[in-house]
Amino acid sequence: MDPDAVAKAFVEHYYSTFDGNRPGLVSLYQEGSMLTFEGQKIQGSQNIVAKLTSLPFNQCKHNITTVDCQPSGPAGGMLVFVSGNLQLAGEQHALKFSQMFHLISNQGTYYVFNDIFRLNYA
Amino acid sequence: MAQTNKGIEEDVASAFVNHYYHLFDNDRPSLSTLYNPTSLLTFEGQKIYGVEDISNKLKQLPFDQCRHSISTVDSQPSSIAGGCGGIIVFVSGSLQLHGEDHPLRFSQTFHLIPVLQGSFFVQNEMFRLNYG
Repeated sequence: MDPDAVAKAFVEHYYSTFDGNRPGLVSLYQEGSMLTFEGQKIQGSQNIVAKLTSLPFNQCKHNITTVDCQPSGPAGGMLVFVSGNLQLAGEQHALKFSQMFHLISNQGTYYVFNDIFRLNYA
Repeated sequence: MAQTNKGIEEDVASAFVNHYYHLFDNDRPSLSTLYNPTSLLTFEGQKIYGVEDISNKLKQLPFDQCRHSISTVDSQPSSIAGGCGGIIVFVSGSLQLHGEDHPLRFSQTFHLIPVLQGSFFVQNEMFRLNYG
């Protein structure tokens, strides 16, 4: 499958899971996975999903503006660089964000090894 | 036996970011020392391969003087313990072009790979302006 298509499919799956079934994100991370969320470092799928499910909002919708991807090296990993905005239920204005994923292939599917998230303040 | 670089990535990222943007703002041609023939740059969606084409792209950007101001730097090791020691660096900040009223906000991702002499080269780089 074309890498750009893989990245696009992953991004759609990730954010629709985030927006519709946040606990379901646990299947996208593994024990060695790392998340840096607004500067806070979290390791391991359980801790990462605990952080994401405890964020101070229930409903949200990600709208993706750009997706860039590149192969990360000979081991077959993929870097995916996303920008977009995040609309929280009840808030007037959407928050702009950028996010970087490093996907590692494991028996035919990808999981998130590295994840870095930052809001983009104006 | 491969060494893990766990824990040093913040120092490496900080030193790299200072060095990269100093070169960009003061001696743009010297950025070529940071890339090699396998490097990849995606600049506002345009894909560029290898040190020569990357250097040409950066030299041809439509401004002479600029100044980067860095707001955030995040870093993580890119491989499982015992792997190649790569480091992912995620930067956000603003870019003031000479003569322009308002700075441009941007985000940028680097994937640094160590070389034998103890330094790093940029294997992957992706740059995006963040429009308000």
